[in-house]
Amino acid sequence: MSDLFGIIGVFDTPDAVKNAAIRVRDSGYRKFEAYTPYPIQGLDKILHPGTKWGLPVLMFGGAVFGAAWGYWIQAWSEVVNYPINVGGRPYNSWPAFTVGTFEFMVLCAVAAGLLGLLAASRLPQLYHPLFEARSFARASRDRFLVCIEATDPRFDAAAIGVLFTELGAERIEEVRA
Amino acid sequence: MTMTFAGEMPVGAPVVAPNVTLTSLSEEVTSRVLMRRAPLWWWAGFMIAFLLLTVLAIQMGWLFVNGIGVWGVDIPVAWGLALAEYVWWIALASGGTIVSALFFLTRSPWRSATNRIAESMLLSAAPCAGLMPIMHLGRPGLFYWLFPYSTVMGIWPQPRSPLWWDFICLLCYILMSLMYYYTGILPDLATVRDLAQSKSKQIFYGILALGWRGSTQEWGHQRVVYAIMSAIMAPMVISVHSVVGLDFAGGLTPGWHDTQFPPYFFFGAVISGTALIVMLTILVRWGYGLQDLLTAYHLNAMAKVMLVGSLLLAYAYVWEAFGPMYGGSVADKTEFFHRVFGFTAAPFWSEKILTVAVPQLLWLPFVRRNVPLLLLISTGIIIGMWQERYVFVIGSLEHNYMPSSWGVYFPTVWDWAALAGTIGLFLTLFFLFLRFAPIVSLAEVREIVEEERSK
Repeated sequence: MSDLFGIIGVFDTPDAVKNAAIRVRDSGYRKFEAYTPYPIQGLDKILHPGTKWGLPVLMFGGAVFGAAWGYWIQAWSEVVNYPINVGGRPYNSWPAFTVGTFEFMVLCAVAAGLLGLLAASRLPQLYHPLFEARSFARASRDRFLVCIEATDPRFDAAAIGVLFTELGAERIEEVRA
Repeated sequence: MTMTFAGEMPVGAPVVAPNVTLTSLSEEVTSRVLMRRAPLWWWAGFMIAFLLLTVLAIQMGWLFVNGIGVWGVDIPVAWGLALAEYVWWIALASGGTIVSALFFLTRSPWRSATNRIAESMLLSAAPCAGLMPIMHLGRPGLFYWLFPYSTVMGIWPQPRSPLWWDFICLLCYILMSLMYYYTGILPDLATVRDLAQSKSKQIFYGILALGWRGSTQEWGHQRVVYAIMSAIMAPMVISVHSVVGLDFAGGLTPGWHDTQFPPYFFFGAVISGTALIVMLTILVRWGYGLQDLLTAYHLNAMAKVMLVGSLLLAYAYVWEAFGPMYGGSVADKTEFFHRVFGFTAAPFWSEKILTVAVPQLLWLPFVRRNVPLLLLISTGIIIGMWQERYVFVIGSLEHNYMPSSWGVYFPTVWDWAALAGTIGLFLTLFFLFLRFAPIVSLAEVREIVEEERSK
């Protein structure tokens, strides 16, 4: 069975896929994922329990870095590199530097968010075995998929087929690795 | 018994038409991107846009060869139409972020179908804004001197100046808006990829979608990042347009040197940006036949935002008069009289009528449902806002402190060519967005469709 990536069960409502995810989890499977056209409330908690602080913390880190960079680039140029006396104002006139600092801060926070999103989702990944599955294209439109992967220690194609049928899957498909 | 205005849209009215399903939604919107041939109106519109874009190219060529003397700018009016239009364009662009980010935070259901139009509009308008001051520089080839990168050139920009803040704001704004747009559209590009029939389109959208699969994990990450980005973009856009206001408030010219400018500019962005989105929404729903997705609910909600914008603006106009009248500066007072009764009186009064008086019609529920009227009112607001920018940029410079330095400004044909040309640039970009990217956010409208279904 090593040439299988996994087995897909196709469901037609968000409630069905949520119910299926709970049953699959309770049957002892661990390596499975749901693919849906839009984020389903509560599905995330079933599949990936636990709090996720990674991306918010990363964006906060980006903000801190950006603010430091933005302030530094202004202060260094005005205080150290090329001090100009502008009407007797202090070289380090920090109130005037706040705008630049703010802009660099938010820019870096947003950039960290986008890069973090891609990294955490392992994107870009232009090829994936799932793209070969006939039923997969509809996961971006109007169907809700659950895929149990072959790397799961309890993986057993026949048992999964029975489970998906029981859960009311309208279609069950094997995905080649 | 509850009191309602006659014809008021009831609470819980459907956001999208009841016959929209997940299947029809994706196919309807995606087919507009994937259709082999664009409809006739698209080509007609694109040709006009492209024609105007060539006007911009010719104008820029003439300007760069001859210098900004080809415009009507001179002393005392050294900031001409181009800078008034810079403010105008950036306000229009900012409206896109206000609708998209601010109303994401409030979880307003009408935002879901209109945010993509708003963001496409913003990404089309922001380059027009950015182009204006560059054209106005006199030596446009040296605009990169504003970048805080320097030791190589030995020249540092002056970070104490609002003009530099403005450059940084606009630069960061365009970059951040692109990232925000892309984070939102990524799942929709995957839908287009999955529906594409031809190999070339599958590859094109496949690369753009980066291999998005819609796994629960990806959605979880995307939603977290998108929510935080929205919470950042909302104050960010306020900072952008406020700093544009500081360009003027930091100047000593009577009529500019006023602390109310940052919020005043932001109020202008709320109303004019929303007005442009209303205009585009009406045209897009008509052109692409998306009346089921962009419904009366959306227009009604945006009309209310325009109404709020006009009230905010009315408040700012009160202070525009109160400052000079109460302040005791003779120059401020004469400059204000010049605006109201002098050479700029016509645009001054027309602007008040178009942006404050006429939008009061939006209190009436039937006006908010009448599409032609909404189109007229929003067009009027956009024209009125252009006049407002014209009056305070040019009117103030015409009437400086010393009567000996008073003067008048007449835009030349090249000034108008710059306006027509940037409208061309805006329309060209918007038509391309319309053709190559889903113009309605599919992932978000799907949630609305499911909500309606389970009601």
